[in-house]
Amino acid sequence: MPLGLADIGLLLLSFVVPFVMILVGLPPFLRFLSRKGRLLDDVHKNPPSKVPGPAGPLLFLAALIGELVVAIGFRSPVPVAVTLGATVAFGVGLWDDLYVLGGKTKPVLLLLAGLAFVGLVLFGSDLYSSAISFPILGDVNPHLTIYTALAIVAFPVVANAFNMMDGFNGEISWFTLLTSLALLFGATLHYAETAGFNLARVASTLPLVAVASGFLIFNRFPSRAFDGDSGSLMFGAMFAGLAITSGVEIAAMIAIVPAILNSFYTLSSVRGFVERRRMAVRPTYIGDDGLLHASLEQEAPSTLVRLLLLDGPLSEKDLVASITYLTLLACLFSVAISVLTWVI
Amino acid sequence: MKLVPIFLIEAAAFLLIIAETYFFFDFVVPVGSISHTLFRYTVFALLKLGLIFGLVVLWFVVMIGLTRLYVRSKTRNVPTPSS
Repeated sequence: MPLGLADIGLLLLSFVVPFVMILVGLPPFLRFLSRKGRLLDDVHKNPPSKVPGPAGPLLFLAALIGELVVAIGFRSPVPVAVTLGATVAFGVGLWDDLYVLGGKTKPVLLLLAGLAFVGLVLFGSDLYSSAISFPILGDVNPHLTIYTALAIVAFPVVANAFNMMDGFNGEISWFTLLTSLALLFGATLHYAETAGFNLARVASTLPLVAVASGFLIFNRFPSRAFDGDSGSLMFGAMFAGLAITSGVEIAAMIAIVPAILNSFYTLSSVRGFVERRRMAVRPTYIGDDGLLHASLEQEAPSTLVRLLLLDGPLSEKDLVASITYLTLLACLFSVAISVLTWVI
Repeated sequence: MKLVPIFLIEAAAFLLIIAETYFFFDFVVPVGSISHTLFRYTVFALLKLGLIFGLVVLWFVVMIGLTRLYVRSKTRNVPTPSS
């Protein structure tokens, strides 16, 4: 479907505005956090250093303005729904950053993000199609009730999965950037191959890509900013909302397989939701060589990071590179799934 | 090359997710969708729950199995804290 000049301009704006907001706004916000004593321990350095955080409020503001550009420009309820879910997740994350929530309270509260998102459907918005498209096999029959129930549950699951990928310098920003690019690719193909598919659904993914790429500059090794739970939960909720509204659920699920595996390993080894600050034994430790080692304690949680370190100790930078390669592979699978679903 | 085994676990996870999601929406959800009696409705609802539970268990078992294989291959020569 050919794009007009106005469409291209709006697409550019929905990327550039949040990206510039991060580049220009984050340095003074970090100085403000430092002045207020809001410094977080960078525990994987020897000796531990301090990094300003949470940067989540500014990341949220930038994403909000980006979605506002899309909502006004395309007159669509899609960015409003995505923002509603992200706002609730951001609120839960900020509460956790400031007062620390329990391991079980967070996922329960995050259900509200899913409820806020699907709540718009009650007002007649055509937010999503309940007929999921599969590669090669085509669409399955629509099941609105089951799809809606799964959409609500998707918010705490995906937001927590993103949150668990936020342990090392640059890990969450690389992960969010790559997975949101895979999502953007799927949404673009869906738009190109489906008559009547609203461009606003593609444009809504651009603020997430913009915020993740801008934040990467500050969050990559060695980090100058931490997003906090307010940032990572918001990233996850936005991703879930965008995957549903873009109709690329399968490709989106595949892109975040490393996070799904990481959550599965953690939850199955600690047998339930446990706040990471309350884990009795850490999955990794810093050796005298300054490298990260896998903990050999029997009670240590089997996280994805611990599995990677079983092969031998790594520096934090190399460890994040390994996780990024895993994410990149999952995103390539996701791209292949999108092509198989929408083109072939 | 060190990442290849984890790449394979990731690929298995992704293939199972696609296959199970399709099976869920195309087979499990429509099971007994036209049930006019309470008894039949209850039986089919329980059957669906059982099938969903089976799908989840299958994914868990495959992932745990593959991960144990990987961990065993990596820790064969590593001394444990108790040794």
